[in-house]
Amino acid sequence: MQDPCLPAIEVADLTQRFGAVLAVDRLSLSIPAGVFYGIVGPNGAGKTTMLMAGCGLREPTSGCIKIAGHDLRTDREAALAQLGIMMDGLSLPERLTGTEILRYSAGLRGLDDGWRARAGDLLEILGLDAVPRTLIVEYSTGMRKKINLALALLHRPRVLVLDEPFEAIDPVSAHSIEQVLRQYVDGGGTVVLSSHIMDFVERNCRRVAVVAGGRVLAEGPVEEVTAGSTLNERFVELVGADPVRPLEWLA
Amino acid sequence: MTRTLFALKLRLFRNGPHNERAFSLVTGLVLAALVIAGASSAIHGVIGEGWIAVALTVWGGVWLFGPLAQPRHDPSVISREWLRGYPLRSWRLARALSWTELLGVGPLITMACLSSLVVLAAPGGMAAVAAAVAAVVAQVYLLIWTGKTVAALAAWLLRTRAGMTPAAVQTAIMLALSFAGWVPLAAWLLPRLGEGDSALIAARAGPVIDVLAALPTGWGYGAVLAARDGAGTGPVLLPLAALLTLGVLSQLCWIALTARALRRPPRRASSRRPTVPGRGLSLPFTPPQVAAVVSRELATWRRDPARGVELRSAWLTPLLMAPIIAFTDWSWALPLVGPAAAVFGAMVAINTYALDGTALWQLLTTPGALKADLHGRMAAWALLFGLPSIALAAVLWAVTGSPLGGAAVGGAIAAAAAGCAAAPLLALVMPAVGTDARDRIYPGQPAGDPTGGQMTIFPVVLLTAILPGVIGGPWWGSVLVAVLLAAAVLGVTPALTVRLLQRRGTGLLEAMTTRDTAILRAAARTES
Repeated sequence: MQDPCLPAIEVADLTQRFGAVLAVDRLSLSIPAGVFYGIVGPNGAGKTTMLMAGCGLREPTSGCIKIAGHDLRTDREAALAQLGIMMDGLSLPERLTGTEILRYSAGLRGLDDGWRARAGDLLEILGLDAVPRTLIVEYSTGMRKKINLALALLHRPRVLVLDEPFEAIDPVSAHSIEQVLRQYVDGGGTVVLSSHIMDFVERNCRRVAVVAGGRVLAEGPVEEVTAGSTLNERFVELVGADPVRPLEWLA
Repeated sequence: MTRTLFALKLRLFRNGPHNERAFSLVTGLVLAALVIAGASSAIHGVIGEGWIAVALTVWGGVWLFGPLAQPRHDPSVISREWLRGYPLRSWRLARALSWTELLGVGPLITMACLSSLVVLAAPGGMAAVAAAVAAVVAQVYLLIWTGKTVAALAAWLLRTRAGMTPAAVQTAIMLALSFAGWVPLAAWLLPRLGEGDSALIAARAGPVIDVLAALPTGWGYGAVLAARDGAGTGPVLLPLAALLTLGVLSQLCWIALTARALRRPPRRASSRRPTVPGRGLSLPFTPPQVAAVVSRELATWRRDPARGVELRSAWLTPLLMAPIIAFTDWSWALPLVGPAAAVFGAMVAINTYALDGTALWQLLTTPGALKADLHGRMAAWALLFGLPSIALAAVLWAVTGSPLGGAAVGGAIAAAAAGCAAAPLLALVMPAVGTDARDRIYPGQPAGDPTGGQMTIFPVVLLTAILPGVIGGPWWGSVLVAVLLAAAVLGVTPALTVRLLQRRGTGLLEAMTTRDTAILRAAARTES
């Protein structure tokens, strides 16, 4: 599905400033093609900022981003054509139904008629075909994640970038999303996702990056990063957690 | 509790945003100064004092009808959502809140404007001035509370799913009265203007002032004149007592409505009324990318609560203006409703990017989508507003045989082109960011206040509509000039908009994510 020699995403010296705040600090990552790649980090670590810059949704202060070899700054259209994106907390064309939004997305991308079968499959597998008359604005959090995933997959991209795909959704929805993502990676696709769910990352990802303060603290195959303990324990160890003193008034 | 809420409101004022408030304050104080200057001229006999009654009626009308003309604009500074979770009785909370409503730009500039009554009373001596000060306080009190009550009633209506229609109807009535309400009066005073005779029948103007002075907005004015002219205590105290009584009743009504709003849980999106999914749209000579956007836009104009109100009000307004004009001696002006419809269409489409909110991310990450999106928005606008405006002008020309028919059709063509091209451009340059699309469920939610953009596009489209009639000569000349003007506008503007969208798109997305349009201004400064 993808040239294995080219990294799916290559980030070099990415820096993102918001006024005086340094959200991402000369961060470099090379994500190989055809893998399930996890990015973990505490809140405010710079994960979403990095992913947004990686998808062309934010102009980085400095640094270079390449998607399947295409420079996002100089070859934007070709780079974007490789991507399927699922962003957390952003709107969609909210007044369309699930079917309508997939039709709209297919039209906007100029896809051939094969999209209809793929849309039908995605709606069925993700359980969205049961609510054909419900507008996106009326979707629950889980349904919203699912339709976002369907939109990201509809044009069969080489690289999927998912921002916190499993936050605030029920285990059944999470299971169906997980199955779809596994099939996608087995077929040669690359998944890059940020998550706080260490168990999921440990179970599915081949490689992981631990990010904090806009920098990469550890990166590599999951078993190397965890070094014999669980990812959760290793994460707390790397990021550091202050002890919580007892609050007498809670007793 | 009242003191805490006052402190909260002051802190909210201090932390901004200041732009809109400062603009209102400066504009309001300038207008108030003009009214005071008018009062000063009136006591020196330069102008008739009836003009002060007219000015105070218009000022009061803004308090009363302003919330109806802008039903989606929530004027409250302290959000009801913040207070709902506190274990306090809603009536007590609403009563405490009611006193904080007296703090604001509106009451301040109204007080300044009404001080013109003190100027009017000055020749009557200290007793008249004291009566005028009481009249100012009573009149401000009434205006504040009737205005707030009307706004609360409108907000209550808008929370219902059917609220889209009443909101659109009330906006349309207010706009139609604002734009055409003067026509019957003008036609009464200038009955033969259509034949080129501009002679004013001045004797007909006198009773109008008496009617204005009898309205609640004129009670303070009436009391002041009575005090100044020494008409006795009855004609002074009666209107003041009426002002205070009506004010107290309005305040109680506002407290009841606010207490009710505080008791009600926040509304959630529900799928009780299922949507019938539309079919794909195939338009002739249109690429599939653009057709997809047109299809999305047509659905969004129908289903989005904010856009739904705008669509309905933009069409109801000219349809209400037409009968107002038709039943006067000025029926020759009817075809001008066509270009007016295009102007209203442009004004309601001024904020579409901000209304679609963070959904912009999808366009920014889809190759070629920004251009297709702009063309699709323009095509949808042309289908919903532009072409029907031209057709309306043509039909009304055919019905009335008006000598202005050619200029009206030409004006509609030019206005439609200008609106079609300028609305997306201004939507990008002057976005009014409100609640994001995913969180907007009913029409009463704040969806951004696009008044600045509307006030910008209004003269632009109006001027474009006037040009063909002014420079075109005969009807075919007007239409020819309009077509050439339309070609020029549609040829140049979209390319500029696409370029701006490509350069500022990520900044616009960030502005909508953070709800801070200062980011856009900073980006524009950096670009320049």
